[in-house]
Amino acid sequence: MIKVTHVTKTYDDGKVRVEALRGINVEIKNGEFTAIVGPSGSGKTTLLNIIGGLDTPTEGNVIIGETNIALLSENQLIDFRLNHIGFVFQSYNLIPVLTAKENVEFLMLLQNKSEAERDERTTKLLKAVGLEDQINKKPNEMSGGQQQRVAVARALASKPDFILADEPTANLDSASTANLLDIMYRLNQEENMTFVFSTHDQRVIDRAKRVITVEDGKILSDIYT
Amino acid sequence: MIVKIAFKNIWRNKLRSWVVIIAIALGIFGGLAVISTATGLSKMRQNNAIRTYVSHLQLHDSAYLKYGRLDDTINQQADIITYLEKSKKVKGISPRLKVESFIQSAGGTSGVILNGIDPEKERQVTDLAEQCIAGNFLERYKQKPPIIISQKLATKLNARVKTTIQCSFTNNIGVPITGIFKVVDIFSTSNSMYDELNAFVRLEDLQNLTSIQGSHEIAVVLHEEKEVEQFREELISKFPNQHIASWRGIAPDLGYADKMMDLVMTLFLIIIMLALAFGIVNTMLMAVLERKKELGMLISVGMNKRKVFWMIIWESIFLALIAGPLGIFSTYLAVNFFGRVGIDLSFAAQGLRSIGLESTLFPILDNKYYVIISILVIITAILSCIYPALKALKLNPAETLRTA
Repeated sequence: MIKVTHVTKTYDDGKVRVEALRGINVEIKNGEFTAIVGPSGSGKTTLLNIIGGLDTPTEGNVIIGETNIALLSENQLIDFRLNHIGFVFQSYNLIPVLTAKENVEFLMLLQNKSEAERDERTTKLLKAVGLEDQINKKPNEMSGGQQQRVAVARALASKPDFILADEPTANLDSASTANLLDIMYRLNQEENMTFVFSTHDQRVIDRAKRVITVEDGKILSDIYT
Repeated sequence: MIVKIAFKNIWRNKLRSWVVIIAIALGIFGGLAVISTATGLSKMRQNNAIRTYVSHLQLHDSAYLKYGRLDDTINQQADIITYLEKSKKVKGISPRLKVESFIQSAGGTSGVILNGIDPEKERQVTDLAEQCIAGNFLERYKQKPPIIISQKLATKLNARVKTTIQCSFTNNIGVPITGIFKVVDIFSTSNSMYDELNAFVRLEDLQNLTSIQGSHEIAVVLHEEKEVEQFREELISKFPNQHIASWRGIAPDLGYADKMMDLVMTLFLIIIMLALAFGIVNTMLMAVLERKKELGMLISVGMNKRKVFWMIIWESIFLALIAGPLGIFSTYLAVNFFGRVGIDLSFAAQGLRSIGLESTLFPILDNKYYVIISILVIITAILSCIYPALKALKLNPAETLRTA
């Protein structure tokens, strides 16, 4: 369960003051397949970053499970992200010098998992995203869609409580988008994995079970489809 | 995994990494080459001085050095020579009688020190015999006593082999004496100043002319240079009334040059390490700034800052680990090669001779410098990437992912 209460976020560089979020309240239950939508500059990425502990709220609390991450130190937040949150980024952000297998394995290494466990889970995850035949390829040897599927496998590798995906389909063609959404939807259905997307891609919105619309830093609508 | 990523990271931009590696290697090579050349020059000057005129040790009567009187000869000469001849450390000894003299020929005049020597014994301590053009080291002569003068003095006196020259000096009681000598050979050492001021005659000839028995100086050469100071102490305890000096005391400029070399080398090492540091700081800073987004991603997904820090440090260590041995090994090969073959500096032979150097330089590099450089390269690599690594730690993951 993700519980966001009275969260505000203000950026102030001394010259310009921008209120990115203005009192957001939202709860996301385990197993949801939620899309946060809105136009550019609406605050959806800021909300996603705050939920993911990449940014801290100016006011309010973000409680994940039983932890109020707004109160964690920087190092505690890094550990928390490693063990509880999976990230999928718009531009894949794989480590270019590592193979698909090594990229997926990476988070488990940070978690000090044994080699046997790493091998087993990496193989399973790459199979789940349909890339069992690409394990030794480096990111620059794969298509955008394949790279994003590796990114999904990597996000799942640390066995997170939920996955945050920031515009995951923005750089993908239709076929790759459909393929990626199928994989994520299947993981959601079969393994009850919680997905939270920020997107303005209609194809993602169409597949989401819940659509939260953000505009000018406020929730404009929150609809279960 | 961190180490593996770090190693792979340095090959992302192969050209840049190789440029940095070669620059570091060249820096090390250049620095060590200068050090080895300077050491070679210093050692050559030192060896030349020892071989030509200083020897390892010199014994004098204390009063002779103080007052310069002709009759202050070494009073325990027989005992000293017996002791020296019995010592296994001693390679050669040569007693010398030294008289200040006015030398003249039909072509010119000059002031010199006449050195009365035993040719056979002198061969054991100096290479003067090898520097003689005609190969007659005061050995073959007819009626007139033989003398050897330097090429420089010969030019000044307009003299050559077989020229008769006249030397004026005083005897043991201050009576002016004139000796007539025949030039039997002409020498030329690597020290032109020494050449100009010294001439050599047979010891017994000078003893007869000055009516002085014995000698003013005993030059000693040991088998091992490193035993000089210890043997000097031994001689001092055995013959406390004699003034016994090692080459460092006789020619302090040589010793100072030795010490100055240490200082110069330290400065060079600092310069090498600074160049290395700036190269690494520049490269690693570029590598960090270029990868802001990736580093931000790593921190986002849960790589703690300690690991990010060490990843950057490892990248720098790898650069140094590749460049260091490359520079050190190429230096080793070059120093070994030129240490055998020598570097021909004959284009500057005249200038080099005026400061006691030969025209072929043999670079020397003590093994300790390879070890010191290796350690310093690693330390410098670590220290110089701390700033770029700290820069990486200050990255805000949300910001880098959004803006980079």
